[in-house]
Amino acid sequence: MATASSRRRNLFSLQPLDAKTQSPLFQRRRVAQEEDMGNAPQVLSLNGKPSANMSLGHAVCERCHDGFSMDEQIVNSNGQVWHTQCFVCAQCFQPFPEGRFFEFEGRKYCEHDFCVLFAPSCGKCGEFISGRVIKAMNSSWHPECFRCFSCAKVLADEGFVKNQGRALCRDCNASEKAKGLGKYVCFKCHSIIDGGHLKWKGEAFHPYHFNCHSCGIELKEDAREKDAELYCLRCHDKMGIPICGACRRPIEERVVHAMGKTWHVEHFVCAKCEKPFLGTRHYEKKGLAYCEIHYHQLFGNICFVCNNIISGDVFSAFNKAWCSAHFACSICDHKMNQKTKFFEFDQKPVCKNCYDKFPSELKKRLKKAYDEAVKAGK
Amino acid sequence: MTSKIKKLVDEAKDSDNPELDLVDKGIVNILEIPGLPTLTNLNKLVLAHNKIASVPPSIANFLNLETLTLFNNHIEELPTTLSSMPKLRILNVGMNRLNSLPRGFGACPVLEVLDITYNNLSENSLPANFFCLDTLRALYMGDNDFEHLPPEIGRLKNLQILVLRDNELVDVPKELGELTRLRELHIQGNRLTVLPPELGGLDLVGSKQVFKAGGNPWVTPIAEQFQIGASHVFDYIKSDTYKFLYGRHISAGAAPPPKNTDKSKKISRSQKK
Repeated sequence: MATASSRRRNLFSLQPLDAKTQSPLFQRRRVAQEEDMGNAPQVLSLNGKPSANMSLGHAVCERCHDGFSMDEQIVNSNGQVWHTQCFVCAQCFQPFPEGRFFEFEGRKYCEHDFCVLFAPSCGKCGEFISGRVIKAMNSSWHPECFRCFSCAKVLADEGFVKNQGRALCRDCNASEKAKGLGKYVCFKCHSIIDGGHLKWKGEAFHPYHFNCHSCGIELKEDAREKDAELYCLRCHDKMGIPICGACRRPIEERVVHAMGKTWHVEHFVCAKCEKPFLGTRHYEKKGLAYCEIHYHQLFGNICFVCNNIISGDVFSAFNKAWCSAHFACSICDHKMNQKTKFFEFDQKPVCKNCYDKFPSELKKRLKKAYDEAVKAGK
Repeated sequence: MTSKIKKLVDEAKDSDNPELDLVDKGIVNILEIPGLPTLTNLNKLVLAHNKIASVPPSIANFLNLETLTLFNNHIEELPTTLSSMPKLRILNVGMNRLNSLPRGFGACPVLEVLDITYNNLSENSLPANFFCLDTLRALYMGDNDFEHLPPEIGRLKNLQILVLRDNELVDVPKELGELTRLRELHIQGNRLTVLPPELGGLDLVGSKQVFKAGGNPWVTPIAEQFQIGASHVFDYIKSDTYKFLYGRHISAGAAPPPKNTDKSKKISRSQKK
């Protein structure tokens, strides 16, 4: 019935589908691709002829279940009949453009609404996919949209390799592998990181994908993490992280607290030999730390006789030190104590007995030198 | 006297601490000390203020001897065996009549303190390997006859104390400046007029250091610095002004000042009776 169909066309001319799908409104309404195009919709061509059997009384409209009046146009499809105004899309209640409809679970939809509700959309171009669907990388694709991330070759028929979340053709995968040897691939943009990378949550990133949590500046590779947030070095340094007293850099691992400062374990060293104390005892002198050996060597608590560190009482005289057991006359080796009187001879202690045995010419010279020293002292 | 010595030797033998103190016992000959060779573990032997004229080579049999004091005796010569003593750390042969040290003396393996004060020694009486004694931390050479200190002194890297008091030194070598651990330097009572600028790097002016340099005929600029203080001397000899003056002084080659002390009365000059 040519008149009927032509009239419908005139009455309900819909916007073409392609133009509509570009609209952002539609993109939002798009439904996830749960419907495979495999169970292809039946495209039915209408047979608009009014059937003699269905003309009156017996026939009722499939949708509203009312009868038909005599002069009314009836739509007949697959042995079912509708009022013209009832034969419309279940979603938009508009007649089907060019009479094409898609049926799903007993309801009929115009092509447009069917796609919106059930058709998969392409992971690349966002268009609905009708016809062949490539399911890969947790998405659906038009065959011509599923291409190598690197060289853009169509992958639908030749297969692909998954590489750092990207689909690559076999050739590109091989070359990427060679190029990226020893380099990090950004976990976000999947390209190779040529400069310094930023490690975050165990993955490598281009630093410029992040901003400082505190000041918002774009991060560089020297950014640091604190409490699962990333900070630029400046902000990080200001947040009460201990700073090493030697290298002036923040301490992220073990902290040594000593001399009123904090130190990297390996930077807290003897001021003389520069070996780290690593938990061994240190000695402080004038704001510097020394190991036991060098403290005593520098500050005189090494016995002049045995050349060992003095552990007990120290006898000090003439810029030298002695263990109590070794403090003796430097000539006769007779033991001396705090009360013993002794003489100085070349900055060594000499007991009175020995001094008395010195030749008189030496004693005279020593006396003279002593008197001169006293005079100069005054 | 001999019985008293024997008693002391026996006591030392029985004690855990093998030391023998025979100070001022009138001993003339070490070999006549009864029972001495039996003290094989002897650690320390003090024979100061005796009349010992010579030291027998058998002294080296005391393999555990660490300290040997022979101060104020009549010794003219030491045995060459001294340098083979494996543990000898402290040797005091001051106030004797030594005219030389034995050949090969520099081979002493662990010598730390050497006292040869008040003898008749000079640079010519040192054995060729003397400055191999790089374990030395104190060297006492006061009251001797050194005119020049050999530049090899710079090899005694562990030297902390160097005493050259009352010698005849007319100069000191610049190598002295290489003794970075030196904290005592006694050069008083010599014939020194200038110091090498290289000595400016020595750290001898702190409270823990000793620098004695009086009784020398210093050139005026240095004498003036001594007037202000020893620390000024070291600053001054580092200066370019002084380096220039020093260079000129050396190239002028002025005659050294004359000996002005009479040493004939030194008891080390005494001859064998």
